[in-house]
Amino acid sequence: MDWLDDRIGIKALLGGALDEDVPGGARMRYVFGSVLVYLFMQQVVLGILLAFYYSPSAASAWASTAYLNDQVTGGWFLRGLHHHGSSAMVVVTVLHLLQVVWAGAYRKPREVNWWSGLGMAGIVLAFALTGYLLPWDQKGYWATQVATGIMGTVPGGEPMQQLVQGGHEYGNLTITRFFAIHVFVLPLALAGLLGLHLWVFRKHGVTPPADLSEEELVQKTQPFWPNQLFLDVLAMALCGAALVGLTVYTHGAELYAPADPASNFVARPEWYFLFLFQLLKYFDGPLQIIATVIIPGAVAAVLLALPFLDRSPDRKPRGRMKVLAFVGALMAGVVALTALAIVEDANKESYREGVELAKQQAERARELAKEGVLPAGGTAVFDNDPKQKTRLLFQEHCATCHTIEGKGGNEAPTFDGYGTREWLTALVRNPADKRFFGGAKGHDTMEPTPKDSLSDEQLAAVVEYMVYLQGDQSEVDKALVEKGKTVWENDAECSGCHEVEAGAEGVGPTLAGRGTTAWVARVIADSSAPDLFGDTAQMPKFGDKLTQEQITALAEFVTSAGTQ
Amino acid sequence: MSEQDSSEGAPKTGGGAPDDPSRRRMLKVGIGVLGGGVAAVCAVPAIGFVGFPLTHEVTSSGDGFLTVGKRSQFSAEAPVKVDLYASRRDAWTRVDSVKVGSAWVLEHEGKLVAYSTTCPHLGCAVDFDGNDSVFKCPCHRSEFKLDGVAASGPSPRPLDTLEIREEEGLVAIRFQRFRQGIAEKVEV
Ligand code: HEM
Ligand code: HEM
Ligand code: FES
Repeated sequence: MDWLDDRIGIKALLGGALDEDVPGGARMRYVFGSVLVYLFMQQVVLGILLAFYYSPSAASAWASTAYLNDQVTGGWFLRGLHHHGSSAMVVVTVLHLLQVVWAGAYRKPREVNWWSGLGMAGIVLAFALTGYLLPWDQKGYWATQVATGIMGTVPGGEPMQQLVQGGHEYGNLTITRFFAIHVFVLPLALAGLLGLHLWVFRKHGVTPPADLSEEELVQKTQPFWPNQLFLDVLAMALCGAALVGLTVYTHGAELYAPADPASNFVARPEWYFLFLFQLLKYFDGPLQIIATVIIPGAVAAVLLALPFLDRSPDRKPRGRMKVLAFVGALMAGVVALTALAIVEDANKESYREGVELAKQQAERARELAKEGVLPAGGTAVFDNDPKQKTRLLFQEHCATCHTIEGKGGNEAPTFDGYGTREWLTALVRNPADKRFFGGAKGHDTMEPTPKDSLSDEQLAAVVEYMVYLQGDQSEVDKALVEKGKTVWENDAECSGCHEVEAGAEGVGPTLAGRGTTAWVARVIADSSAPDLFGDTAQMPKFGDKLTQEQITALAEFVTSAGTQ
Repeated sequence: MSEQDSSEGAPKTGGGAPDDPSRRRMLKVGIGVLGGGVAAVCAVPAIGFVGFPLTHEVTSSGDGFLTVGKRSQFSAEAPVKVDLYASRRDAWTRVDSVKVGSAWVLEHEGKLVAYSTTCPHLGCAVDFDGNDSVFKCPCHRSEFKLDGVAASGPSPRPLDTLEIREEEGLVAIRFQRFRQGIAEKVEV
């Protein structure tokens, strides 16, 4: 310490910061400002740590946030602290403001202290708003859309909105702008105002309780170091402990599914903005501006002018009833609106369902993100879904000829309803329909079976027999199968081409095991096997192009299209 | 926001004089302990967080065996060059089917072998010359025989063999990179 002091004069520096009298003695109600300084510093540290992993672009914001939250050691905890720390800053800012109002500390000569404080309160809200968008998840995306949308509705707000969001729509520029504002502009602005705030505070000193006489103040005076600082640090520790508790309890901050501009999402702002959201509900159409600009503007104007509006001779609360009543009513209004918003949502079935759905999607997306997200980013995470992967594979290799889920070509059989009794019936009646082989040029081997050669009743029995031949006997009508077998052997012309023993060769495929996943997989690999389509096969062979796993997945995809 | 004087009950000393020294000591220790605790909340998890890449595989590309084709594609007649495709992970991103490297595959003395196409000298891509039946590096004229041994040129070691595996008629190769310019084959 002495060594350092000789060189940089640290003792004088520390002394300058710590040597100060607190007239009337150290008090718990002076801690809020210091706790805010602590919270801000902690947010800075946490924010810088998050930026070690967070990547600000539309393609990578969500994926990098999911990575830092779900995979990086301690990521969920640090992100959770930053998230809840932001709520804590809002709460403590309000408490600090209330203590300042109660003490009458906004009055002459501390006007600049008051104004710089109001400026910082605005910055804290701006931090919260800009940070909320950064994860680029459904919640942040849609809630922030509402905020910038409001900006666009006020007169002259449109260019403002475009400036803030970097264009007509949300995109890369929105993120880079919000990021630059969140991590560079706002911290610098807050630090600058805080410097002014503290400088002015040190110039005038703390505003002591109004009911103590001059003598009492002097008599009770305590030094800042260590008496007040101990209380300050104690409050910081309590606040820090509460934050850690909250973070562990909630397991960090929520992360919803990646932003999807094509979806609809129950957009709600963060809880500390809910009162504005609720206020908006009461002013429709052209009146909206009352909720978005006029009321908030008027409140801000009154607060800014407070040092001049308060004409009472001294700081005693009794003389400042009007001011206290105004601020009290303001707080009551905010609390009431917030409560109303919460209660209304809690009673709204559609909202609760929306949130439930969003949570399920979020869980799924974050699970899939662990395999890495494809370069398109964001919602591309859902391509990791095995079913989606198979769907893409189908699109790539099969959809030029086959249709599934209503999409694809019709040069080969359609798979919606594949293998169901209805599908089989329609196929037997008219194989040349576009739904079946009609689109495949030259594939006219299978003859239609009109009603006069096989009645509807007979066909139903044959179809049941075909289902039975697939191998799964649990869901067939035994009696009908027997009947079908008889029809097959005596009346139907099918047996001329189709065998019913496994592996048996015929003009058409054997019906034993036909339509099962394994059978479809064999067709995909090589449809020209003698017990499959043999010489009439037209489909490309995929045995060389796709892995066995891919083929099985495709086969499952096809057969499951019949069970839906 | 209580109006209560929290220092009430503490020994009052008038005129701004400090409290008794032992109380002051206690307060200072309290400040140190609580302040340290507050700082630790971020500092401790920050260590594991920032150091995460030291203990975890952050990027990866095809560490396992990569299928390159059917067994019937390869023979003793001439080596076949195959490209190796794998999924590449880079932190949160995954890219499917990126080319991570290539290999020469041939049957040698009845066994399938795969050589990395990366020249052990300085890393150029080695070609195969069908006329002379040797692998030739275009950069500094290293030549390798079919068994991989360096026949001429500056290469300090034979072509690097890659692990190869046959399964259900399919051939798969494990792709690795090795240090260049030294006599030993050391994976990087
Ligand atoms: C990030 C936001 C803020 C920080 C970090 C901050 C910090 C501080 C600190 C450290 C003090 C001295 C100790 C104390 O009384 O707590 C202080 C005092 C003060 N602050 Fe703030 N403050 C912030 C916001 C505000 C706001 C929103 C207002 C009011 C609109 C405000 C008005 C004042 C006033 C008037 C004082 C003087 C108190 C007195 O004379 O007793 N500050 N602030
Ligand atoms: C220098 C100071 C700061 C830096 C460098 C910083 C940096 C960041 C970064 C990189 C993110 C994105 C990571 C993520 O979303 O998980 C983020 C998110 C956020 N930041 Fe900050 N931040 C700072 C200060 C603050 C302050 C003072 C507040 C609030 C008063 C705040 C509120 C938020 C919020 C609400 C989020 C969204 C967290 C969430 O995902 O729920 N930040 N910040
Ligand atoms: S790199 Fe192949 S011989 Fe030098």
